Amino acid sequence: MAREECKALLDALNKATACYHQLVLTVGGSADSQNLREELQKTRRKAQELAVATRAQLTAALRDRGLGAEERAEFERLWVAFSGCLDLLEADMRRALALGTAFPLHAPRRPLVRTGVAGGSAGVAARALSVRSLPHEAEGNFDVDDLRELEHEILQVSEMIQEMEMKVNVPRWTVQARQTAGAELLSSASVRVSSVGAVSVQERTGPCDPNKALAATVFSAVLLAAVALAVCVAKLS
Amino acid sequence: MERVVVSMQDPDQGVKTRSQRLFITVIPHTAAGGDVVAWLIRKYCISEEEALHLGTLLVQHGYLYSLREPRSLVLRPDDTPYRFQTPYFWTSTVWPAAELDYAIYLTKKNIRKQGALVGHEKEHYDQLHRKINHTWDLVVMQAREQLRAAKQRRKGDRLVIACQEQTYWLVNRPPPGVPSVLEQGPERSSCTAGGVQMTKNTEFYKQEMERCRKALTRARVKSSVCLEAYLKFSSQRGPHDPMMSGCLPSNPWVTDDDSYWTFNAPSVAVPTKLRVERWAFSFQELLEDPVGRGHFMDFLGTEFSAENLSFWEACEGLRHGEQAQVRAAVDAIYQQFLAPGAARWVNIDSRTMERTLEGLRQPHRYVLDEAQLHIYMLMKKVEDSRCKADTVTW
Repeated sequence: MAREECKALLDALNKATACYHQLVLTVGGSADSQNLREELQKTRRKAQELAVATRAQLTAALRDRGLGAEERAEFERLWVAFSGCLDLLEADMRRALALGTAFPLHAPRRPLVRTGVAGGSAGVAARALSVRSLPHEAEGNFDVDDLRELEHEILQVSEMIQEMEMKVNVPRWTVQARQTAGAELLSSASVRVSSVGAVSVQERTGPCDPNKALAATVFSAVLLAAVALAVCVAKLS
Repeated sequence: MERVVVSMQDPDQGVKTRSQRLFITVIPHTAAGGDVVAWLIRKYCISEEEALHLGTLLVQHGYLYSLREPRSLVLRPDDTPYRFQTPYFWTSTVWPAAELDYAIYLTKKNIRKQGALVGHEKEHYDQLHRKINHTWDLVVMQAREQLRAAKQRRKGDRLVIACQEQTYWLVNRPPPGVPSVLEQGPERSSCTAGGVQMTKNTEFYKQEMERCRKALTRARVKSSVCLEAYLKFSSQRGPHDPMMSGCLPSNPWVTDDDSYWTFNAPSVAVPTKLRVERWAFSFQELLEDPVGRGHFMDFLGTEFSAENLSFWEACEGLRHGEQAQVRAAVDAIYQQFLAPGAARWVNIDSRTMERTLEGLRQPHRYVLDEAQLHIYMLMKKVEDSRCKADTVTW
């Protein structure tokens, strides 16, 4: 059904935008590298494809005159979320362009800022593209060419946003969001409680995370049981 | 500030960094506050106080953040560890922090703290929920996805990025009571804080109406006209200003040679060229300069109309003189200049003369203003037509 498809496309676009945001955060910092720029390119291309597909679907649905009032409200809600997502993507792309130009990878006199982020971000990009892992095949001056392409893509995205505003007339103030304040707290188990421990950055020399302690005790109990069983088996045989 | 931070990153000459050890994770790139201050002193050859101030500015604008107390935005010149902020979160005027981003951040925090947002963040959250209600679906979706995407990173990176975001929002949306560095200055906050609440009775509204009515009839000049006049003034006076164009022979405050003052004394025999040029700007300039006035008096003497300038000078003396002498001065002026058949009778038109004579019954300081203005205008016309060429070539 059209609504489900739209929703699925929008979710995928949302995921790609969030991953792109995560990747752009580290441009110019200590984790900036050829690989990062390549991942940025792949993520944003995927996001753009999804955006084009979603737009086609949503425009077709909204142009359909024979739609009921409820369905129409639903599509309008999706439309507002979609245009907001696209705005976020465009803003992130512009920032990526500015930061990429300000921090070129191969210039000898411009060191990257030592921000403390050291690891790779392949997992983030792989999540955006919904693949297991991401091969890196970029050659030498990848970032310079990439910046030129990024400029073109930014222009394309802003044209798309403009067209959208012109063609489809959805007044924002009439749309009622479905989620209430605090709706994110009722979410499913995919947001685990262990991420609470990730926030505090004070130097901790004392006791560790309670969940880690629990896991450690369970593991050690199982290990002890296995050792005891092995000893019994050895004694019996 | 960004250049300072980037030059701090130089691997050979920048600030030395160590690693931070948390329970199992090791995160590199921490700089001690004392190292930062020492580097600033070395690089820019400034005093310690200035380096401390500069360092504190860097922290307040969010380019550096403390790892022990992220909420206190000061630079401590000891072992307190600091880390650099990622360029994405640098304070920028091109991309001010948006409401949607703040909403997403607060939602993420809400999820992480399981609904335990406190204080101003809770208020902001509710406010934003009302303000941008139409995009709240997007906010929740993005917040969840961003948290899930962040999980793909290593633990150390996740901690650092969370810190960076927290610092960014501490700078851009400071808690109440903390002055925001991005605002214009103290004037803005004081006018909202100390406003006296008047009782809104009819008196108040009557006063308001009166004030608005007066404001409507006030004469206003178009800004284009103002600005043109301003530009003209600046370009005309530019070469004469000792600050802008230097003063010859030399600035007495700098070289201890006060020949500049002797050349430009109020009554000097030979006025400087610049001074003479100034007389050509306007009649007022000529009259204000004692040397110019003397020359003008001589010129009027040749034209047999020196009494005009004398009258004008006498009126000025009345205006700026003692209160006790006002009556006597008015009488003297009348006897000398205005009475019919007086020794130095000035030529004033009849209407002004009538009004002046009436005013003389109750003499006060400004009673001769109209007559003085009339004579001034007369002298100005004379000046403009004949004298200007002479003074310029002088």
